[in-house]
Amino acid sequence: MTATSTLVTQGTRPPRSRRRVEPIYYLFLLPSLILFTLAITVPGVIGIFFSFTDSIGIGDWNFIGFTNYIALFSDPAILQSYLFTFGFSIATVIVVNVVAFLLAVGLTSRIRLKTGLRTIFVIPMVISGIIIAYVFNFLFSNSVPAAGTALGIPWLETSLLANPDLAWIAIVIVTAWQAIPGTMLIYIAGLLSVPGDVNEAADLDGASKPQQLFRITVPLVAGYVVINVILGFKGFLNAYDIIVGLTGGGPGTATRSIAMTIIAGFNGGDYAYQMANATVFFVVAILISLLQLSLTRGRNQLS
Amino acid sequence: MRRTVAAAAVIALGGALLAGCSADGRETIRFTFSKREALEFMSGVVADYNASQDDVRVEMDTSGVDVVSASFVRGNPPDLMLANYNYEVARFVQRCALSDLSGTDAAGSTRDDLQPLMDQYGVCEGRTSALPYSVMAASVIYNKQIFAEQGLEVPQTWDELLAVCDKLVAAGVTPFYATFKDDWTVGQGWYDYSVGGSLDVIDFFDGMWAEGTNVGPDSSVSFQKDFAEPMARMTQLTADYVNDDAPSRGYGDGNLAFSKGEAAMYLQGPWAFSEIVKTAPDLELGTFPLPMTDSPDDLAVRVNMDLAAMIPEASRHKDAARDFLEYLYQPEVIEAYNESQLGFTPTKDAPAPSDPRIGGMIPYYDDGRIYQGPSVLVPKTIPVFNYAQAMVLGGDVGYYLDVMDRDWARMAFRQPVAGDAEPTGQVDETKESDR
Repeated sequence: MTATSTLVTQGTRPPRSRRRVEPIYYLFLLPSLILFTLAITVPGVIGIFFSFTDSIGIGDWNFIGFTNYIALFSDPAILQSYLFTFGFSIATVIVVNVVAFLLAVGLTSRIRLKTGLRTIFVIPMVISGIIIAYVFNFLFSNSVPAAGTALGIPWLETSLLANPDLAWIAIVIVTAWQAIPGTMLIYIAGLLSVPGDVNEAADLDGASKPQQLFRITVPLVAGYVVINVILGFKGFLNAYDIIVGLTGGGPGTATRSIAMTIIAGFNGGDYAYQMANATVFFVVAILISLLQLSLTRGRNQLS
Repeated sequence: MRRTVAAAAVIALGGALLAGCSADGRETIRFTFSKREALEFMSGVVADYNASQDDVRVEMDTSGVDVVSASFVRGNPPDLMLANYNYEVARFVQRCALSDLSGTDAAGSTRDDLQPLMDQYGVCEGRTSALPYSVMAASVIYNKQIFAEQGLEVPQTWDELLAVCDKLVAAGVTPFYATFKDDWTVGQGWYDYSVGGSLDVIDFFDGMWAEGTNVGPDSSVSFQKDFAEPMARMTQLTADYVNDDAPSRGYGDGNLAFSKGEAAMYLQGPWAFSEIVKTAPDLELGTFPLPMTDSPDDLAVRVNMDLAAMIPEASRHKDAARDFLEYLYQPEVIEAYNESQLGFTPTKDAPAPSDPRIGGMIPYYDDGRIYQGPSVLVPKTIPVFNYAQAMVLGGDVGYYLDVMDRDWARMAFRQPVAGDAEPTGQVDETKESDR
């Protein structure tokens, strides 16, 4: 899981020059390298090792070869958690980026109360995910159905969270609500970096406001779009706290994310099996990072 | 100067590492207990114990079973655990991570016939790894006032149950208050009572362990074959006779609504009584086993080892922990605890709970007509609670039972060890002979 972030951050800083590097830079790297090795690499390797055993996290264990992996690939629950996590991540990335971009455009244009509005829109970012989830859990379970009953709207009367086919929408809404401010801030920074004279020139040439937005502004902030999509997607693949607080993976198993499945394995005495799952997830994450890296390079050259 | 600071830091760190030796020379033990209904009672017991002697100080840790599991993995488990006995905890038994308690007075005082119930979750050969502390019996809770107003008798058969439900509906009373939002309430109540009232749970799971990887449509026992009928009846009840907003109600909502008399029956264990009493101290409640067949002989109540005491092998304060364990098993402590939590005391010659709300279950318990919940006899890797929740929310019963069979076969395929701990208990027999 964490491998994604490291690869991404490494990727955004390609080597520039061929000159000899000052040794002091390696010294700067040392603390984080040691911490990273002890906290991420070593446990990661141990985890992969245990995925070939029948360990439950404690006590004796035996090597069982690829048994866990064979069971894993025939397990529909695991497959479903991957489908759910990726579907949810893609949907959330789209919602978050569209809404955040439009908000950013609005908040960088000449409007009243700009500072006040920006403050309000950023507030969700500073609240912890689990608290947001519990508050929305209450809203979805009590307030929304009560409003539905009062207004006579039948489909609102039962909780969105209790519907196995629609519960994921609630999770997208809440996750997006929390993720939009961060994304919006990056877009605001991007929009402010667009020089005013290009828009002025386009204005003189007779381009309408929507044309300016889509032909001038969007291409100029394309790099920010890529960054937001990558960071967002990476974060949503790890979705855990909001799902736990909202649905606990239910109704049934409709909203079990990969991270939840792995953690449930620790508690349920399924350590080795879920380590195999984590290993597969790790490989998938590396593949995605490589894909994103190559995309980012292309984008940076374009812009 | 720098050197002194470093030395001070080392000393401070070293002091912190000498865990268990507090300033006043007492040995400190970490005692995990997270049953929230009984926290107040247990805090009192711990305070009394700490005041009663000068050698050991007990610190209560209420952070819950997930944290305890993690502490085992880190090799830093608590010194004494008093926890709900289920597969999550029993894996520490199966892998021999708990110390042998057979030499303690506490072990000598507990009833022998309860051991088969403990062994259903697996054993560590030659050890008494866990001791029962509190046995809970659970069945349908009913509102005596509503039953009296409607002139209803406690149903003994499936048809009588349906008749009761129909009468209640006709009178405008919701028969059952259901809380489908919390999946464990579906598993503990609806799923377990339906299955336990229909078939012999011990025989079923003995058969399932024996079939192992063969479990499926053609095996001698399977979820899809044996559970189809009980689940069909369960979903019949949950479709027609529960509150409309059941899918968005949780355990807390249920206790509140039932205490206000919003329904006649409630599928919860005795732990809910202490919550209901908070809002309705005078509400008259009773209990009866959920009838699922046409024969009153099939009636049985669900029991579970609500609390079992365990001392981890990795504890560095086993002797101190044992001292507190013996204190906990003194008759005045353990009987007072179970009386306060409406549990059955697992020690020899202990009285049955005197609370009238439990009274409806005592005859079944005495006759050995008891079963452990089929939702907790399945290793947690199979999300039974989630499946049960999906079924009562309108999912296809046949589909989910088939999924459970496949999950079982897959689990048996990759973890044959779990099968070694195959339960061999003869609970019903021993129960009858002893009581």
